[in-house]
Amino acid sequence: MKSLRVMGAACLAVAVVALAGCGESVTPTVYEPGVYKGDRDPLLAKHATPEAKEALQERFAMSQTDR
Amino acid sequence: MARMKFLCDSERCIECNGCVTACKNEHDVPWGVNRRRVVTLEDGVPGEKSISVACMHCTDAPCSAVCPVDCFYTTDDGIVLHDKDLCIGCGYCFYACPFGAPQYPQKEAFGVRGKMDKCTFCAGGPPADNSEQEIEKYGRNRIAEGKLPLCAEMCSTKALLAGDGDMVADIYRERIMKRGTRPQSWGWEKAYQEDV
Repeated sequence: MKSLRVMGAACLAVAVVALAGCGESVTPTVYEPGVYKGDRDPLLAKHATPEAKEALQERFAMSQTDR
Repeated sequence: MARMKFLCDSERCIECNGCVTACKNEHDVPWGVNRRRVVTLEDGVPGEKSISVACMHCTDAPCSAVCPVDCFYTTDDGIVLHDKDLCIGCGYCFYACPFGAPQYPQKEAFGVRGKMDKCTFCAGGPPADNSEQEIEKYGRNRIAEGKLPLCAEMCSTKALLAGDGDMVADIYRERIMKRGTRPQSWGWEKAYQEDV
């Protein structure tokens, strides 16, 4: 009778250990989408000025309009 | 707000590959990497059409959406750029891009990819404008000098246009009116969606 109890406890312990191996963390590694993580481009500030935009529009009119 | 766009007029492109050569020369693009290429549809058949393809700098750029390290950023006027210091060369952007724009130099044996390389609209990257570091990693920064992409500026037939989307659309609209044909602004709907 006692040996049956010991065997039952042993089986239970083995089952618990085996099932524990099936568990895994359900929290995946998530990156924040669309948030740029690099250095700031100095062009962004320079290009925000109206003069810079006007220069590009003049350039377009000069070099790309139909002949 | 100006929105920078590329447009290739397939009725005018003569497949000279001048844009490809100009890009490679201006930015010293390495062997095996083509930031721009000319694709010919129905090659050899009468009525064949050629289009010059590169990064279209999409409004809602899929490359940026799938990047696991968020190395993409978009300027105020819609130019999509990336930081090579962050790029891990995973190739996700290549699979996401409908234009096949991202390119990878094969740096090592066993097909190991290097950092992604693509058209920058001649606007360089995060390092100081036209610094040695920027030129080496991304090529020249013509936008910072008040110039537009060289591929479009030197296109002999003016098939390739690059600049403010409204100005590009005005030119193309005039051409279509003269020709009396339907517009075939290849790639525009896919790249710019409701912003066309």
